[in-house]
Amino acid sequence: MENRLIITKYSEQYYPPTPNNFTLFLRRSIFFQLIRFFILNYKIMKIVIKGHS
Amino acid sequence: MANIVVLGAGVAGHTAAAYLQKGLNKKEHKITVISPTPTYQWIPSNIWVGVGRMTPEEIKFDLRPLYNKWGIEFIQAKAQSFYPEGDEHINTGFVEVEYTNEENKGEKIKIAYDYLINATGPKLNFEATEGLIPGNGNIASVCTFGHASHAWELFQEKLDKMKNGENQIFVIGTGHPTATCQGAAFEYILNVDFEIKRRGLEKQAQVIWITNEYELGDFGMGGAFIPKGGFISNTKLFAESYFVERNITWIKRAGVKKLDDHTIYYENLDGEYLEQPYDFAMLIPGFAGHGFKAYDKTGKDISDKLFAPNGLMKVDADYTPKPFEEWTIKDWPETYQNPSYHNIFAPGIAFAPPHSISKPMTSKNGTPIFASAPRTGMPSGIMGKVTADNIINWIKTGNATMIHKASMGRMGAACIVSAGYGMRKGTAATMTVSPVVPDWEKFPQWGRDIKTTMGEPGLAGHWLKWLMHYMFLYKAKGLPFWWMIPE
Ligand SMILES: Cc1cc2nc3c(=O)[nH]c(=O)nc-3n(C[C@H](O)[C@H](O)[C@H](O)COP(=O)(O)OP(=O)(O)OC[C@H]3O[C@@H](n4cnc5c(N)ncnc54)[C@H](O)[C@@H]3O)c2cc1C
Repeated sequence: MENRLIITKYSEQYYPPTPNNFTLFLRRSIFFQLIRFFILNYKIMKIVIKGHS
Repeated sequence: MANIVVLGAGVAGHTAAAYLQKGLNKKEHKITVISPTPTYQWIPSNIWVGVGRMTPEEIKFDLRPLYNKWGIEFIQAKAQSFYPEGDEHINTGFVEVEYTNEENKGEKIKIAYDYLINATGPKLNFEATEGLIPGNGNIASVCTFGHASHAWELFQEKLDKMKNGENQIFVIGTGHPTATCQGAAFEYILNVDFEIKRRGLEKQAQVIWITNEYELGDFGMGGAFIPKGGFISNTKLFAESYFVERNITWIKRAGVKKLDDHTIYYENLDGEYLEQPYDFAMLIPGFAGHGFKAYDKTGKDISDKLFAPNGLMKVDADYTPKPFEEWTIKDWPETYQNPSYHNIFAPGIAFAPPHSISKPMTSKNGTPIFASAPRTGMPSGIMGKVTADNIINWIKTGNATMIHKASMGRMGAACIVSAGYGMRKGTAATMTVSPVVPDWEKFPQWGRDIKTTMGEPGLAGHWLKWLMHYMFLYKAKGLPFWWMIPE
């Protein structure tokens, strides 16, 4: 990671946020993702239903 | 008896045909689908074919048995010219089509209609970029299952080279200064990167994103604002963060003009002409209409009445040229009905958008370099259904009022951006925006309903994408209760 920062200093790649270990853990955690799966489904369905008239 | 002809059996055309046969009595009315290939393909899964995670057989099926069961006539042919008023011999509108099946290849016939749905999608305009020929040298595409299957072969060659210690440069993105469909290229670059890392070959690979977007995350819809971590941030941050996390670098504001076997030549918004070496390129071509011609009853060319200059079909959009600052959602069509011939409709990518969604930009040399308006699967499916519903209503009541509407300025869209395949290790970003075209009058701060707009990376996204693959193929195959699955 340090390497990347040295190489990219002052380039576009230097500035964007990168996820920390906790965020990466949540993105991969089966338990947390299972909950998110149902929430995401619900949010998508809300949009889908609104789109049809 | 009404005679309905559907051109194209993709997302919009097949959806329209499915709802037409469900809503109409087939003993009374005739439905015909005309398409150059007898297969339906679930295009979004081409991404996985292109990295060897699925075979073309898993993403396509033969439409003929289904259409037989549904009482729909299928003609394997491609439409060429439109005669909306008929001609001196035929009194109703008709289309001239050319057979593409083995037995009658090249033979032309006239197909009369009372209602015509033009759902022929885009012409993949590879010719508009010199040297952009999928299958040629180091150039791949994932726009069709055939292209994606070749992309996987080429990718394997490159993986083998890397295993033997050779360095390889992968350049993925847009292959024309005004190309669209950035989302598909974005998915492919993330999947290519995922597969390289899964094999531990990242030291040999340089992965580069090249795009005509002004900023990353524009995706041809002017970007979007998403609430995340206590902030409302732009999809620019989201896309850049995704790349930085994976060590993917990017070239933005780039209009690709030409490719040879090892170099991509592009112009940027600053007017510089630059070169990018590559060993593997997957660049989305420009999209255009199919070059259809239209004639009136006397044989006079009236193509400009049916089609916009880019060859896509004119519908109920407001095509008056106006500056970006004056664009509103009212410019966008609601019924996909042709203004000159009310019995002709163009849902999906086949309709000519009134303008782009992203702000048009021009390089210092006058070259337009920006993302054209995307029309993804979900809106295309909804447009197909709304078109079918309006035609059914028209036939059943005799009332030509279009009661069903679906404007991209009102409907939302969900897009799952795959970033790696696997039930435990896979990942995808679930993105939703509502509406697709920002409505700055209704949502003056963010252009869209911030409560329903999201971008969330994680394993759950992969499960969703995987589920959608099977769900949408189930629906397309017309299996029991298919109509309960939304578009
Ligand atoms: C690689 C890739 C990945 C994608 N991923 C996603 C995604 O994850 N989510 C999403 O929402 N969207 C995605 N899209 C976009 C989505 O595939 C399109 O929005 C959708 O296919 C458009 O539907 P359509 O019916 O307008 O056109 P198409 O699906 O292209 O269908 C056009 C049909 O017309 C037929 N046709 C062509 N010429 C003629 C002719 N002359 N006469 C008669 N028929 C003709 C074609 O054979 C085809 O059957 C992706 C696109 C690509 C290329």
